[in-house]
Amino acid sequence: MSTIQLDDIRVEFDTPSGKVVAVNGVTQQVPSGGFVSLVGPSGCGKSTLLAVISGLTRATSGQVAVGGKAVTRPGRGIGVVFQEESTLPWRTVQENVQFALQIAGVDKGEQVERANWAIDLVGLKGFEKSYPSMLSGGMRQRVALARTLALEPGVVLMDEPFAALDQQTRIFLGAEVRDIWQRSQQTVLFVTHDISEAILLSQQVWVMSYRPGRIIDVIDVDLPEHRDASIVSSPAFNQLHNRVWSSLQEESKRGFRQQETRT
Amino acid sequence: MMTSVMGGDVEPGTGDDVSIERPDTESDRPVQLPRRWRLSDPLISAGATAGLLVVMAVVAEVGARSGWWRASTLPATSTMLSGVAGLMDDPQFWSDLTRSGLEIGLAILFGSTAGLLSGLLFWKLPTLGRIFEPYLVSFYAVPMVLFYPLAIVVVGINASSVVILATIMATIPVALNTTVGLNGIRPVYLKLSRSLQCKPHQMLFSIALPAAAPFIVAGLRLGVVYALIGSIAMEFVTAQAGLGYRIRYYYEIFDNDRMFAYILVVLVLSVLLTALLAGLERLVVKGRTS
Repeated sequence: MSTIQLDDIRVEFDTPSGKVVAVNGVTQQVPSGGFVSLVGPSGCGKSTLLAVISGLTRATSGQVAVGGKAVTRPGRGIGVVFQEESTLPWRTVQENVQFALQIAGVDKGEQVERANWAIDLVGLKGFEKSYPSMLSGGMRQRVALARTLALEPGVVLMDEPFAALDQQTRIFLGAEVRDIWQRSQQTVLFVTHDISEAILLSQQVWVMSYRPGRIIDVIDVDLPEHRDASIVSSPAFNQLHNRVWSSLQEESKRGFRQQETRT
Repeated sequence: MMTSVMGGDVEPGTGDDVSIERPDTESDRPVQLPRRWRLSDPLISAGATAGLLVVMAVVAEVGARSGWWRASTLPATSTMLSGVAGLMDDPQFWSDLTRSGLEIGLAILFGSTAGLLSGLLFWKLPTLGRIFEPYLVSFYAVPMVLFYPLAIVVVGINASSVVILATIMATIPVALNTTVGLNGIRPVYLKLSRSLQCKPHQMLFSIALPAAAPFIVAGLRLGVVYALIGSIAMEFVTAQAGLGYRIRYYYEIFDNDRMFAYILVVLVLSVLLTALLAGLERLVVKGRTS
C-alpha cells in the first residue's frame, strides 16, 4: 500500500541573501489510495514539499516515507507530473510515453502494450505518431501524464500540472485526472493554487502558509464521489471554498507584502 | 512553433460544463491546416537553383564568346566544362582529389569528435568551460592560416600539417555549439531524468544529446565548412599536392582553363557537402517544428 507519511519535514535553502526556510514542521499523511490537494500562496514551498516526497530534494530534517519505506532518492513507485512542459520534442507521442518504460528496462513488447493502455487512458488514441509540436498545450500535458501513468506508480505527485493551461482545458483535464484516479486507486498528491480545482478534485485539501511553509489547515472535502458542474454552485462547495479562502487570504497577503518589500 | 494548431489549444465545452464524463474529443484534435506552401517549398528552391545556374552559365558563355571580357579572365562555360571532362581521365587530378578528400575527411572526423568531446567536457565541468570558452571564442576569429608556417616547421610540408590546422578550425564551432546546446537544456528534462532514475549513459544519449541536437548539427555544419575551407586554403598557401595546391599551380603558370576546371570541382564538392549536412539537419529537427 502506498501511504505518504510526512514526519516533521523541514527544508532549508542557502541563497545569496541568507538561509531560507522553505518548509517547516510538516507532519501529515496521505492515506493509500487517497487524493489530497495542496494549496498555498505562490512561493510558499508547495513544490519544494512535493520535490521532497518525490526524492528529488532532500529534506534538511524530518522523515518522508512512501508505503512505509523512507524516501531518500527518486524511485520507481513514485511518479511525478511536472508543471513545465516536459514532453520530448524529438519523440512521437508513443515514443514519449514509452520513454519512462524504456528507461526502466521494460521489454519492448510490454512497453508498447503499457504505452497503448496509458495513451488510451488519457484520451490520446489516434495521436500516437504525432510529435508534441503538433499538439496543443493541453494534449502535451496529457502525454506527460500518460508517461507517468504507464509506469503504474503507487503514488502520483502532480506539481501544478495544468498551471500553464487555459481554464476550460484545466477543468476537463482535472476531471479526467479524478476519473483515472477513481479507477486506479493510486495515491495522489496534487499541488495547485486554484481553490476550486483543489476542492473539486480531492478528498482532502491542505492549506499551506507563506514561507516558511507550514500546513495551517486540513479540510476534508465531504462532497459526493460523483462531482459535476452543479456542485460548484452548491452550498456545500461554497462553504468549503470560503473556508479554504479564509485560511489562505491572510497568508497570500503576507506573502505578497514580503515579496513587495524585497523588491 | 505552434502555427498549425490554431484551435487545437481550446478544449471542447464551456466553463460551466464540469462533467466528470470524458469530453467529446472530436474538437480536441489539432486542426491540420493545409500547407500548400510547405509542400512545394523544396520544389521552388530546386527550381530557383537550377534556373540561376542556367542563367549564370549562359551569361558566362555569351560574355566570354562575344568578348565582353577576356576569355582569360573568365573562360566560357563550355570551356570550363570540357576542362572538367578532361580531368576525369587525368591521374594527377584523381590523386589531388584523393589527397584533398582525405585531408577534409580527416579534419571533419577529428574536428567533430574533438568538438563534441570538448563540448561535453565544458558542460560537465562548468568551471573548465568558464576558463576555456573565452579563448575558444576569440580563437574563432583568428585566421588559422597564420599558424600554418608553424605547423610546417613542426610536422613538415605534408598532409598532416593541413589536417592539423583544418581540424583545429573545425573543432571550434562544434565545441562552442555543443556547449551552448547542452547548457541550454531545459531544467525540467534534468528533473525528468533524475525522477526516472536515468543512468548516466541513458541521460546522455536519450535526453542530453537529442535535446542539444539542433545546436550540435548547426555546429557540425560550420565545422564541415571550416574543414573544407581550411584544407583548400592551406594547400593553396603551401603544399605539394591537393586541389588547392593545383589551383594555385595553374594560376601561376597562367593555365586559366585548367584552373577554372579545378575551381569548379571545389565548388561542386562544397555544394555536395552542404547538401549532405542540410539533409542531416532536416533529419534531426524532424517533428520539432510544425
